[in-house]
Amino acid sequence: MPSFLGACEVFLTDGFMYSVLALGFYISYSILDFPDLSVEGTALLGGMSYALLVRASYNPWLTVLVAFMLGSIAGCVTGFLHVKLKIRPLLCGILVNTMLITVNLIASVVGMGGNLRGEEALTTIPVGRQFITILRGFPSTLLPTDLGGINARKLIVLFVVATVCKLLIDLYLKTKNGLALRATGNNEQFVTTLGIDPGSSKIIGLAISNGLAAVTGTLVVTSRGNANQNMGLGMVVIGLASVIIGLSVFNKAYFFKDTTKVIFGSVIYQACLSFATYLGVPSAYNKLLMALLFTVALVTSNFTTKHRSDSRD
Amino acid sequence: MIKFDNIQKSFGIGTPDEMQLFNGFNLEVSEGEFVSIVGSNGSGKTTLLNILCGSMLIEGGRLLLDGADITKLSEHERAKYLGRVFQDPQKGTCSDLTILENMALADNKNKKFGLGAAINKKRIDHYKELLEPCQMGLENRLGTLVGTLSGGQRQALALIISNMADIRLLVLDEHTAALDPKSSELVMELTTRFVKEHSITTLMVTHNLRYAVDHGSRLLMLDKGLIVLDRKGKEKEQTTVESVLHIFNEISIESGN
Ligand SMILES: Nc1ncnc2c1ncn2[C@@H]1O[C@H](COP(=O)(O)OP(=O)(O)OP(=O)(O)O)[C@@H](O)[C@H]1O
Ligand SMILES: [Mg+2]
Repeated sequence: MPSFLGACEVFLTDGFMYSVLALGFYISYSILDFPDLSVEGTALLGGMSYALLVRASYNPWLTVLVAFMLGSIAGCVTGFLHVKLKIRPLLCGILVNTMLITVNLIASVVGMGGNLRGEEALTTIPVGRQFITILRGFPSTLLPTDLGGINARKLIVLFVVATVCKLLIDLYLKTKNGLALRATGNNEQFVTTLGIDPGSSKIIGLAISNGLAAVTGTLVVTSRGNANQNMGLGMVVIGLASVIIGLSVFNKAYFFKDTTKVIFGSVIYQACLSFATYLGVPSAYNKLLMALLFTVALVTSNFTTKHRSDSRD
Repeated sequence: MIKFDNIQKSFGIGTPDEMQLFNGFNLEVSEGEFVSIVGSNGSGKTTLLNILCGSMLIEGGRLLLDGADITKLSEHERAKYLGRVFQDPQKGTCSDLTILENMALADNKNKKFGLGAAINKKRIDHYKELLEPCQMGLENRLGTLVGTLSGGQRQALALIISNMADIRLLVLDEHTAALDPKSSELVMELTTRFVKEHSITTLMVTHNLRYAVDHGSRLLMLDKGLIVLDRKGKEKEQTTVESVLHIFNEISIESGN
């Protein structure tokens, strides 16, 4: 049985790590009302490219930026399928996800110096001690790795990354472009009468959210020490559940920005999962537990949002 | 200034319910005209405005704005020249944004939506000045979410917003229909004031014959996609509600309604 402190460490680090993903879902799902399944593929894309580039000794922080950009490109593809080819959101996600399976396989084989015709793709790409990741490079090296039995460095670095992402999104949403994005999710007709193409607004939003998913992928790889072809699985549930929990639990907390609520939501969601493990639930039940928690979150949020619209009229 | 040239529009093409609404529809509106459009339900008024604004595609014909062909422009590209208020108060504003945010967006119409700050504090006084004339106290509630406003307040705001940028044409589709008599009167009053102040060319669809007769410089009546009455100038001034109602009823009887 893991220690209580250990469980706290796990949910805090995982909470911050996945809050980046959740912030992406805040944009695609909450603002644009677009349930985007492609993030499972883009998170993997981000993780995979990060693992390969870090192994090739590129600067890890630069690599995170590259991952963001790759994720954004994938997000643009999702947006393009929806906006220009008029394919429904869920299908766009499934399509991009499926395309990315091949992209990631090829990347892993070629990146590891293999031959596409010859060997099987590696399912796991290790990023071992000899490679410099965002945790093993400057400025993270200034932080202690061990503080009273807790990996303080990991916790702090992930917290800082999540906070920076949150602040950047807050800033973006205050720009003209960001406000137009919010308006697009709310009333496309209105946006159109302002001479804005709601389609391009949506593509921008999806680019940002998938970029963030890819960044989450890099954090997961950093945290686990390897990139795995299955690491994207469950990302949609984790991200959506975090957003929905955050926004409905703190529904009435007007002094918090939505982005802050989303980070809290992510931490709460991971806390529930960690404590289940702490109480001895075997890890095989993990995905079931994730889905059940998500269901509870959905049902409660239906209740709270209904309550909100009642009080408005 | 705006010209509908030989417009063809059908619905449900290729289905048993195929229906041709406009077959070679022509209309020319000159600069500064305030056109009121009346007609029974289903006569094609909303469709006409949708065609003008690019919300609906047409099968044939051209749309000219100041002589330039705008038929191929998409809805958001045409929006540059147009201000639009809808029958549904929900449509003309964003309910999840505040009054200030809505106005800031409208203030930036026809400019670049880049990474500059969305809200320019220096413009707030200007926004308040715009809101004051509608006497709803909105100027003191800039931080209020638009979704919490009443239909009348939202429609007044939508009207103000539609006029914030330099537009060539104002398009109103039964914009007072969802309002109570008092708000409706007020929004109508605001409309006339705007149109006068900016001497802006206006197309207004309404079911209120009195509004159509009292306001505007030209009166059109549509029936089944045809213009059955077109009065302007002196002739329009002498037109009374009773006479329009009379024509309206005659048409209804003819078509068996
Ligand atoms: N999207 C559509 N698909 C099929 N038919 C349509 C569509 N839009 C309009 N029509 C048909 O075109 C005709 C004209 O409709 P339109 O909405 O323009 O009428 P209107 O004059 O605005 O009526 P109202 O006074 O009720 O608003 C109607 O017969 C309607 O059924
Ligand atoms: Mg209509």
